[in-house]
Amino acid sequence: MLFKSKNNGFEGGGIILFDTVEDALRAEKALKKENFETKLVAPPPALRKGCDLALEINLVELAGIERALRDGGAQFMEVHPLKGGGDLLEIVKVTDFGTAVMVKAGNMKLTFDKASGSVLNISGGGCPDIPYLHAKMADRPLTELPRPRDVGRTLCALMLDRAFVESLEIWRKENLK
Amino acid sequence: MLLICGTVPVDDLPLTAGEVSFNGEHIIVNDRKVPCTQGTAALISAACATAAEAGSRAPHALIVGDNGNGRGSRQIYEYVAGNLPRLDVDHLVLHYMLPVMGLMRKICAAADNCPRRPVLVADAAAMYAAKAAGLAPRFDVFTPDLSELAFLADPEASHPAYVGKHLFGCEIASAPELVRAAYKKGNCARSLLVKGATDYIVDEGEIIGQVTSPDVPGLEAIGGTGDTITGILAALLHSGMTFRDAAFTAAWVNRMAGSCINATPATRIRQVVEAIPKVLGAVIK
Repeated sequence: MLFKSKNNGFEGGGIILFDTVEDALRAEKALKKENFETKLVAPPPALRKGCDLALEINLVELAGIERALRDGGAQFMEVHPLKGGGDLLEIVKVTDFGTAVMVKAGNMKLTFDKASGSVLNISGGGCPDIPYLHAKMADRPLTELPRPRDVGRTLCALMLDRAFVESLEIWRKENLK
Repeated sequence: MLLICGTVPVDDLPLTAGEVSFNGEHIIVNDRKVPCTQGTAALISAACATAAEAGSRAPHALIVGDNGNGRGSRQIYEYVAGNLPRLDVDHLVLHYMLPVMGLMRKICAAADNCPRRPVLVADAAAMYAAKAAGLAPRFDVFTPDLSELAFLADPEASHPAYVGKHLFGCEIASAPELVRAAYKKGNCARSLLVKGATDYIVDEGEIIGQVTSPDVPGLEAIGGTGDTITGILAALLHSGMTFRDAAFTAAWVNRMAGSCINATPATRIRQVVEAIPKVLGAVIK
């Protein structure tokens, strides 16, 4: 077998599809350099697109993986969960507390102060970068913060990014009136 | 022993294990201080406050710094998998840890190898790993919020970020339907405490109670209020309460703590934890 797995027992839950074998190998190198656990696999028939080689990844680490691929100059077609639909939740829900607004995206909630535009709290989620992002973002104005997807590494960070983008839009809309 | 495992947002904190205390602002393990903020530190703070008030032994903690790169999380998985059978753990709480399905299997196997299997409680990403790996029925307690309950009810989703849109749209009134779906698909622990505007207490698939008051809407916005419920619940279970009593008490105490301090979306979790002893003391007396 050409690409025998060295990661016995690795269960990542996600797969990256590529146009060419060269892209797949470049991506594997870029991710290994950043210490992401990966496994070269044949894409399952239902997901097959492009070349016959794919990378299994720990899907939860999607934000960090996409960043490492960009930084490593690795091209890829798409990332797909091995089970279920391939789309991240897009829906957001907004709650108005009077002086504060809470935006919920998936399992993440970001609440900001209407008057100052500062982040009051981040709640929900469960991945280890969320308490870290909470500490970095609390009490700071939305307009001065980097996007959570550029700092965090997990799917929870991507959901927080959705809430952050919506919060920023609401804040800007209200303050341009 | 009640052992609480999870990561904290302190870059240079090595894997640290030992009895834990809470001084009102920090948790302290082996002379290492970690601020009481959202996540495992909040859970531990609430468990310490609860154990002290209930007169039971202080919890033990296994914590490590992790900024999301998973290195600290993997150390926790490996430590627990390698040492659990020789530790005298009655209740094991797994919390903020990067979901790694293969390593979660090792922890479940280690639990099976204990002379007396510990009660397994999972919340946050440890719960995501358990469900995604098909290990949920091997856990005793999960403490999801509504979006996480939708994740448990979705047989395909490997993380709450991939939950079907129809499930994410559900309101808290749909919780019973989600509970049924989650149990039917075998994606639940034996018991659930579902945290939300209404807290649902579920045992073996049956909703055995709800807690709706006091209603403190601001609590949902405060990072860590779900963690504190789990911490209170775990400490009460360890004190000998039944799941039913512990879950009712945890849900109510958390709400009352928020009510006592007039919690708003700007409140910090440390302030909620500070109010727990007073509220719990009144219940216990």
